[in-house]
Amino acid sequence: MNVVLKRKIEGMVAISLSTLAALFGLFWLVFILGDVLYNGISALNLDLFLNDPAPAGVDGGGLRNAFAGQLLITLFATLIGVPIGVLGGTFLAEYARGKGISKVIGVLSDIMVSVPSIVIGTFVYAILVRPLGHFNGWAGSIALAIIMIPVVLRTTEDMLSMVPWTLREAAFALGAPYYKVIIQVVYRGAASGILTGIILSIARVAGETAPLLFTSFNNAYFSVNMNQPVSSLTVTIFQYAMGPYDSWHTQAWAAAFVITVFVLILTIAGRLIIKWRYK
Amino acid sequence: MPETFEIEVNNLNFYYSGTVHALKKINLTIRKNAITALIGPSGCGKTTLLRCFNRMHDLYPKNLYEGEILFQGINILTPDTDLINLRSRIGMVFQKPTPFPMSVFDNVAYGLKLKGMKKRAELSENVEKALHHAALWDEVKDKLHSSAYDLSGGQQQRLVIARALAVNPEVLLFDEPTSALDPISTAKIEELSQTLKNDVTIIIVTHNMQQAARISDWTGFLMLGELIEFDSTQKMFTSPSIKLTEDYITGRFG
Amino acid sequence: MLSKKNPLDMLFASITAISSFAVILLIAGILFVLVHESWPAIERFGIVKFFFDTDWNPVTESFGAATNVYGTFITTTLSIIIAIPIAIGIAIFVTEISPDFLKGPIGGAIELLAAIPSIIYGMWGLFTLSPIMSGLIEPFLKTITQDIPIISALFAGPPMGIDLLTASVILSIMIIPFTASISRDSFRLTPEVVKESAYALGATKWEVIKHIVIPYAKLGVFGGVVLSLGRALGETMAVAFVLGNNHRITSSLLDAAATITVTLANEFAEADKDIYLASLFYLALVLFVLSFITLAIAKFFLLKAERKYSR
Repeated sequence: MNVVLKRKIEGMVAISLSTLAALFGLFWLVFILGDVLYNGISALNLDLFLNDPAPAGVDGGGLRNAFAGQLLITLFATLIGVPIGVLGGTFLAEYARGKGISKVIGVLSDIMVSVPSIVIGTFVYAILVRPLGHFNGWAGSIALAIIMIPVVLRTTEDMLSMVPWTLREAAFALGAPYYKVIIQVVYRGAASGILTGIILSIARVAGETAPLLFTSFNNAYFSVNMNQPVSSLTVTIFQYAMGPYDSWHTQAWAAAFVITVFVLILTIAGRLIIKWRYK
Repeated sequence: MPETFEIEVNNLNFYYSGTVHALKKINLTIRKNAITALIGPSGCGKTTLLRCFNRMHDLYPKNLYEGEILFQGINILTPDTDLINLRSRIGMVFQKPTPFPMSVFDNVAYGLKLKGMKKRAELSENVEKALHHAALWDEVKDKLHSSAYDLSGGQQQRLVIARALAVNPEVLLFDEPTSALDPISTAKIEELSQTLKNDVTIIIVTHNMQQAARISDWTGFLMLGELIEFDSTQKMFTSPSIKLTEDYITGRFG
Repeated sequence: MLSKKNPLDMLFASITAISSFAVILLIAGILFVLVHESWPAIERFGIVKFFFDTDWNPVTESFGAATNVYGTFITTTLSIIIAIPIAIGIAIFVTEISPDFLKGPIGGAIELLAAIPSIIYGMWGLFTLSPIMSGLIEPFLKTITQDIPIISALFAGPPMGIDLLTASVILSIMIIPFTASISRDSFRLTPEVVKESAYALGATKWEVIKHIVIPYAKLGVFGGVVLSLGRALGETMAVAFVLGNNHRITSSLLDAAATITVTLANEFAEADKDIYLASLFYLALVLFVLSFITLAIAKFFLLKAERKYSR
């Protein structure tokens, strides 16, 4: 009986410890989120979206340039990255299904997903900034697109693999060529899954900073010329938060709030689609 | 000679999640050193009943028992029942073999170690005894220290029986122990059950009526959460007193 | 069905094939470009010397990676040491301990937190954590360790809040959700019925976790930890705010330092000489190779874990 008591006490101690560890970790995470939301909301105002930055150190002004630039860079990154990712995933799940090459590219993609994003920034700098002689928006979009490709590719592959094989056979039986089967039957069957992959990949790159530091760089003025440096929210946060002015810090909180809410909404939307579709 | 009842179930009701009435007013008695089979169509409550005997339902919230189950005269459904102690006296074997992620030896020694046995020699002796008991010793004596996953499905199931036997339980609960096994492994386990009943009381849930007829001494037939008939296996399978039982046994439904 | 030589089908197949080979092309391209760009620095500083030289001086054009590698090593190691017990605690809590109605919400919250961009963690570290560290935690650590010989050296110097310790803490907070959610997925691999059979032998909840759930999840959790290590290794923005930029190897965790990533973030855009830029590319190359190897190891264990239990 003594043994049982000892075991019960050991169990209670261990369970309490892991509960404490969990609560400790959750405390910090909730703290961060709460802090960003709280400080961000109080820094939000309409000027932020309508005005361009005031001269350094002067109060007022907004981040219109950064919002526009962020949208532009992300949009072009999506337009470049998504088709390559979706088509690449199609090859792995359809034409190369079960073949060695499919596994190799799958594993390499998984590794690519976690390759330091700043390394991708240096790579794009070497191929697109240095030869042109100046920072430019395209370089930023391409850096983000490179990050998106493996994410979209892997989710597309997974989602296409989940479409039952019999569905394809039914279409083959009607005499359709494979590409038509894929486009008309398989894509349709996996549409919501692929969409989720795209949404999550946008959420992933929307908050990226490191690959933009020396590609699209930053621009204190409103500019939608992708051949020139383009401002982004994330790089602006870095610059403003590290800067000396209180007004910059306030705007950095506001920008952080917007980015966080945007990413959270996309992430939640992606998960809801998956839940609703694949329950 | 008065019969010895190992377990008496009196007016047992059981509710899943506090609402789904899964067992209704069950009354039955389990004889010591006999094999009692519980049969019935799927969803009839036979596994639910089996899992009451070691309070397995307590692992999930809001499950509710009413009535009493007397194990050697003591009600085990009271809140102060020590589940650790109860479960070390009433062992259980599941449908699919459930070896733990450790060696063959450590699997069998697991329950013993929980009970506080530490000496290597003592452990070895008990492990060997249990493996002999489960008719597995000859097949695994040379691979005691390799992973339990390396054994075949039938061997894994006997390993799990050995693991349950090692702690000298008084009752063993079998939940369709052969449904995932091939006929040869099934025969071995059925054979084993006949020798085991000299030492333990066995309650077995089975969907296979031939199996119940072959190995059990007593049979209970359940349907929709009610115990329709309970009698000696011989009587149940030759002249059941209730029409429903006869229909089920002769395969008219289910 | 591939043998049906429909020209449009061949075209579509080729387009998809090229798209998927883009991944291989990118990896090879990154490697090639980084080697090419850093070649002047590789030639001038060699490999061994570059790794062990602590001098990083744009003025004298002398570049060694040691201070950066050291900073990366310390922040990564420390953050992993802090994060692992907490992340595994969270994973155990969510799969085994927490009441059912909390499992979903907590699990979801963790996945959301893993999605928050690292720059948010970094900025929060600068504005909120750094003052807490310099005002509260670092003085406390100094006081309790001041009489312990070697340990006190780890906390020497004034508590500024912009240092290795703060950077490691923020990095650990950032990887906790990621590590916790991979560990949770691994813990979930344990079949319910195997846990039940341990309970049926009279095991307590903790014994089931210790003897069944953890051994079952071991490979997956290990893979997840290595994956987190790979993430931490290459993380830039979470540490860039609170590390300072100090090219010195220091014994105190309360000193500013540099990591490979932070040096790149701070200096890349303003490198004015070719050898300076080449040395920065060399750093990027080192980081790329290190993280690629780490991630490949992680992937190996995760695949092994998957295969083991998918039978």
